[in-house]
Amino acid sequence: MTAVFELRNLYKAFGENVIYEDMNLEIEQGETFTIIGGSGMGKSVCFKLMIGLLPYEGGHVLFKGQEVADMNREQLRELRRNVSMVFQGGAMFDSMSVLDNVTYALREHTKMTDEQMLERAKECLDMVGLGYDRGIMYRMPASLSGGMRKRAALARSIAIKPEVILYDEPTTGLDPANIERIGAMIQKLQKELQVTSIVVTHDMQIALERSDRVAMLHEKKFPFVGPSADFRDHAEPVVRDFIKGVYHEDQDE
Amino acid sequence: MFGGLESIGSSVRAGFDWIGGISLLFGRACASGIRRPFGIYDIFYQIVALGVRSLPLATMMAIFVGMALTWQFGEALMSFGAKNAVGSAAGLALVRELVPTIMALTVGAKIATGMTAELGSMKVSEQIDAIASLGADPIKKLVWPRLVAATLALPLLCVYGNVLALGGGAVIADSVFDVPTGYFYQTYIDELYPMDYISGLVKAIAFGGLVGIIGCFQGFQTKFGTEAVGISTTNTVVATSVAILVMDFILTMIFLPVG
Repeated sequence: MTAVFELRNLYKAFGENVIYEDMNLEIEQGETFTIIGGSGMGKSVCFKLMIGLLPYEGGHVLFKGQEVADMNREQLRELRRNVSMVFQGGAMFDSMSVLDNVTYALREHTKMTDEQMLERAKECLDMVGLGYDRGIMYRMPASLSGGMRKRAALARSIAIKPEVILYDEPTTGLDPANIERIGAMIQKLQKELQVTSIVVTHDMQIALERSDRVAMLHEKKFPFVGPSADFRDHAEPVVRDFIKGVYHEDQDE
Repeated sequence: MFGGLESIGSSVRAGFDWIGGISLLFGRACASGIRRPFGIYDIFYQIVALGVRSLPLATMMAIFVGMALTWQFGEALMSFGAKNAVGSAAGLALVRELVPTIMALTVGAKIATGMTAELGSMKVSEQIDAIASLGADPIKKLVWPRLVAATLALPLLCVYGNVLALGGGAVIADSVFDVPTGYFYQTYIDELYPMDYISGLVKAIAFGGLVGIIGCFQGFQTKFGTEAVGISTTNTVVATSVAILVMDFILTMIFLPVG
């Protein structure tokens, strides 16, 4: 398998707050890769570094062997055409209908006609289980429930047929049925579209049951990376405690 | 003593950082704006959103400024027995100075705070990152249309405001000082030269640009949480007001010798 993303000796800090120090990670093509770790440790920052939304102070972020920091405007545009991100809160554009949200990337990157874009939007909304026959396409994001908004955001991300989808905490704030639905959808999309899926989550069900490999962020690095099957009874107490939700008082410090 | 100096130094530095940030955003917006597609639809949408929806406020402001100023001048001139010159005095003050400046301070501040609140909310909810992640340029999509729309809308509102201020002044001149409307209009217009209109319009264009870029910059600078949106919006009111007054002084210095 070839690596889609390689993060080598990465150093990232916000002022004096160091997020990554000598961090290494490699994500292979076609896999579902899950990143777990405590809140506020910088899991989502990883995604923003991957698509060039944030600069890094040291090390390398490589997309198919090409340094993201060295990319020019056109190369970055191409990277973002191939790597789609589903944001934690959906980040749907409030002033646009669901249809306009879903077709946003198509308008940016393709010369599709309005009819073709409409067909593609229907296809994507169908794929994420929202359907299109109840006028959902013409509703504004504010009128959708949390679960529907996340699925609409997912439809927006797959519309352009990306090679990689980055899911930033896709199940946060959802009820168990919707968590299950989103988990199944990630797997389904990975199989149907053959995309590489990278998921940042606190949801152990997604991490252990829906992904091929898991990485745990600990002390500014990913010291524990391996197949998801190995994570359930990991030899390292830190990993085991995190998965079982064991609380240590020193976590607050 | 050193603490005080340090505080002054950091304030000065923050000021320069702010001016630098605004200039950089302005440069990037212009550089992205001249690339195809030009976003004509977005610009027109913003002109409607910013300009047309500001018409009620602009109307109220212009009529009442016209009336108040004419009354003030009328009272002062009456004591010299020169109340018939009220049109000449009011015309110059309104067209050159008061309509563009007060329009910018009221309508402009409304436009700028609206931009900051909208873009700040988009920043907080990661919508700006989402635009970038979808391969679009947030500056081209968000800043450029608002900058152009504000730069075009404010002079248009000023022209509209000048007409209404003249009307408001005429009502007061006639009803309070017995200066006939026709006479007031004639003296108002006679005193104005093309350079007076030009200076008023140039001021409005400059104020519009300032309003647009400051509103967008403050929105983009919003940190995290809804409280940050409120802070950014408040800062926008202060920043636009100060910037407009400073720019007004600079442009008055330039235009007065010319006029």
